[in-house]
Amino acid sequence: MKVLVTNDELCIGCHLCEDVCSHAWYKEINRAKSSIRITSLGNAEWNMAVCNQCGQCIVVCPTQALSRDKQGVVRLKKELCVGCLSCVGFCPTQTFYVHPDYVEPIKCIACGLCTKECPTGAIAIETLPDQEIAK
Amino acid sequence: MSSFEISKERIEALKAGHRVLAEFRYEPQPVEKGYAGQTLYVNVGTHTIATKPVDERMKRTFIGGRGFDLWLLWNAVSSDTRWDSPENEIVIASGPLGGTTQYPGTGKSIAVTLSPLTGVPIDSNVGGYFGPLLKFAGFDALEVQGIADEEVIVFIDGNQGLVQILTAPEESVNSHLLAEEMVALFGQTPQEKQGISSVSAGVGAEHTLIGCLNFSFYDPRRQLTRLKQAGRGGLGTVLRQKRVKALVVKYVGVKGDSNHPADLQPIQQVGARMHREIYERDPIMFTMRLDGTNHLTKIMNDYDILPVHNFRYGSHPEAEKIYSPHFQKYFRYDAPDGCWYGCTLACAKFAAGLELRSGPDKGQVVTVDGPEYETVAGIGANCGIWNAHDVLEANFYCDAYGIDTISFGTALAFVMECYEEGILNKEITGGLELKFGNGDAMLELLHQMGRGEGFGLIVGQGIRRMKQIFAERYGADPQFLQDIGMEAKGLEYSEYVTKESLAQQGGYGLANKGPQHDEAWLIFMDAVNNQIPTFEDKAEALHYFPMWRTWFGLNGLCKLPWNDVEPADNRVRYRGIEAAKVPEHVQNYVELFRAITGRDDVRSGDDLIRMSEGVYNFQRLFNLKMGQGTRQHDAIPYRSVGPVTDVEYESRAERYDKQLRELVGIDPTGMSTAEKRLALRRYREGQYEKLIDAVYKRRGWNENGIPTLEKVRELGLDFPDVVELIEKHSR
Amino acid sequence: MIRVNDRWDIPWQEGMTIEQVLVACHFTHHYIAVSVNGALVPPEEYARWPVADGDQVQVIHIIGGG
Repeated sequence: MKVLVTNDELCIGCHLCEDVCSHAWYKEINRAKSSIRITSLGNAEWNMAVCNQCGQCIVVCPTQALSRDKQGVVRLKKELCVGCLSCVGFCPTQTFYVHPDYVEPIKCIACGLCTKECPTGAIAIETLPDQEIAK
Repeated sequence: MSSFEISKERIEALKAGHRVLAEFRYEPQPVEKGYAGQTLYVNVGTHTIATKPVDERMKRTFIGGRGFDLWLLWNAVSSDTRWDSPENEIVIASGPLGGTTQYPGTGKSIAVTLSPLTGVPIDSNVGGYFGPLLKFAGFDALEVQGIADEEVIVFIDGNQGLVQILTAPEESVNSHLLAEEMVALFGQTPQEKQGISSVSAGVGAEHTLIGCLNFSFYDPRRQLTRLKQAGRGGLGTVLRQKRVKALVVKYVGVKGDSNHPADLQPIQQVGARMHREIYERDPIMFTMRLDGTNHLTKIMNDYDILPVHNFRYGSHPEAEKIYSPHFQKYFRYDAPDGCWYGCTLACAKFAAGLELRSGPDKGQVVTVDGPEYETVAGIGANCGIWNAHDVLEANFYCDAYGIDTISFGTALAFVMECYEEGILNKEITGGLELKFGNGDAMLELLHQMGRGEGFGLIVGQGIRRMKQIFAERYGADPQFLQDIGMEAKGLEYSEYVTKESLAQQGGYGLANKGPQHDEAWLIFMDAVNNQIPTFEDKAEALHYFPMWRTWFGLNGLCKLPWNDVEPADNRVRYRGIEAAKVPEHVQNYVELFRAITGRDDVRSGDDLIRMSEGVYNFQRLFNLKMGQGTRQHDAIPYRSVGPVTDVEYESRAERYDKQLRELVGIDPTGMSTAEKRLALRRYREGQYEKLIDAVYKRRGWNENGIPTLEKVRELGLDFPDVVELIEKHSR
Repeated sequence: MIRVNDRWDIPWQEGMTIEQVLVACHFTHHYIAVSVNGALVPPEEYARWPVADGDQVQVIHIIGGG
């Protein structure tokens, strides 16, 4: 299973990953449209919040819009999504995001574009053992 | 997969039977701020199909849902119209907030008709996809009038812009088959199937006055249709009397902005927050996602409120046998259970692996949605049938046959008491030993209703008619029957013992449709928490909560997410009755209403309550139009108020003796049980009359329970025929 | 005497706690808000919180109902 792995201790709060993500997927630099969220904890500490591909959302979706692709990444099929946001509420790590420009929520699909820009190596794409796949 | 697969041959046979009796084409328009802007009228007798506009006054006065339904029905019928007249209609509507996907509980339809049981309008709310899909198809409501010459279905295709009345000679009548047939006929892909919902009844609705409507939705993971019920009042009976097998709507393309809301952002924010609240709180509060509404059975039994043996008692040593754990083995949790997109409270329960032990499908292993608390309490506890399998099997067949489980359970409990008292015997019942606890007889009675024969036909007439029949034919004491027959206005009671809650006696007795609990549920607030001690307190609660609960029915909403889950800090931030209103959730609904309709004149919960007052009073006036709607029709059977028999008195003697001493001022020492029982009765009946006085005053009604002209003007209901009606009753 | 919900009088005993009051009243519902003389008591304290003779105890049952 392919997943974006984070190391909060290396994060310096430059927000480049957020800019790269929103630009790649929504054609604008807008952190409110990023799949990864960097928030300050004070004391030069940063929290990195992004989907860990646990797949708990899959069974909650009423239209089967969420499923794992061949690399184990949990993908949202927009054409099936009715925008109910059940996944947003039930995500154990609260890493689905919502923006009013879109009916469908936003989540990380482990594309890895952000990892190429991170100056400290705080984020990386890794292949982890497959989790049990929820249908 | 469904236990009842529809073959290709069957589909061809269904199609071969279709002739187009009427066809109507229209240009599908998008919904604007929660409203389609028009309603659909279908007359299955004259083969007329037309649209009617929805204007601003209709939106402001009636909002949607029950309000639209009642307004359309009012204009369709006269005071002479009976439930089986061609003029009677079934009207179905969602509401401006209905069809929202982001917030839980936004899929309700509200169905209204002149009830075969009461003669006044019944309003019944139901999950499933029909109402929202109807709205997105282009119609804020559907009116079905007339009586067809031959069996028909009405088909609405909201993508093509097509409405048809089709002959349907081959279609099944029973919903568990018919719903599958409609999806197989009109849907090919999973998305199309999810976009189809049908309204249907069953053979039981043809032979009884207690027929229900089943509203379907398609479960894409399990690849079958599921059914929710508009149970009360005989709506299914009216559908079958019109020779309509099904009303079917098809609309593909539901999205989170299908209502074209004024502002999407607040809807998303409040929806996501509410889902999170359910995720965190439901498991520690009422476990709806795990057990559904049947979590209530144990609580009711512990607090002596569970109806046992025709509402005689409030608890029973064997009650444990129908608590949630006994049903969990049937439940499957591998797919979302919400009866509309985005309902994460998901109180519907998918039961599988039920091997039927009786009836036409005996031996089959089936799936069924259920059981609700009402079904468990009504058919299980109230009839003394402490058997989870039999309750679930009754649930299955009631749904299939189109029979209301509440009226069935309460009517059967009445019959069982009559049998045990010797009013009925095997000769009368055709050999059925209708004693409390006899599950075999219960199931056979249900199948008789399906087949249209036997004593089942008498029970299917409902309690009010049975009282007359038993007195006339079998020499029963009419007063005794009146005391124990749990119906008011002609509708059977739903499943709560109200003897210790004066407020709930009023909640049931004063409800316009008859004793259904969706209007007010005050038992704990009153009898356990003691939060509404005075008549004025009770009258205030019987103003606020019925108005608040009515609001859900105007907007296409389910009330469960309002107070079957609450924020963690609700009882810390708010105290007393304010906390019971769950203010944060009321605020959610204010935000939703503003965001969808764009009405920024709506700012608080009080503004929402005001919307309901108009419709509520209009419904009272509708009862008046139909020859009821006055004080005498708010009478209730004594079994709902206190102990009818000596046995009942003695079962709770300590409690009742104490009340005689402390409340009535009588020393019970030396009095016989009968004397004590009668003294208590006089007191309690007097209390109910005083409650009615206080409630009428609070509602702005006169002493006879009729809204005053002043009230009617204040609410903008002074239509000419309304004014005429009130003036006629003032003379 | 402990007065519960301004309706029921429960005999008081030395060392009585809220938990014992709940048992005496047959209050089995798991979702309640308890206050003693107007002060809210957190659920984790029920087994320890003492009630004095003459105290007014409020046990609000939180239940959505039908």
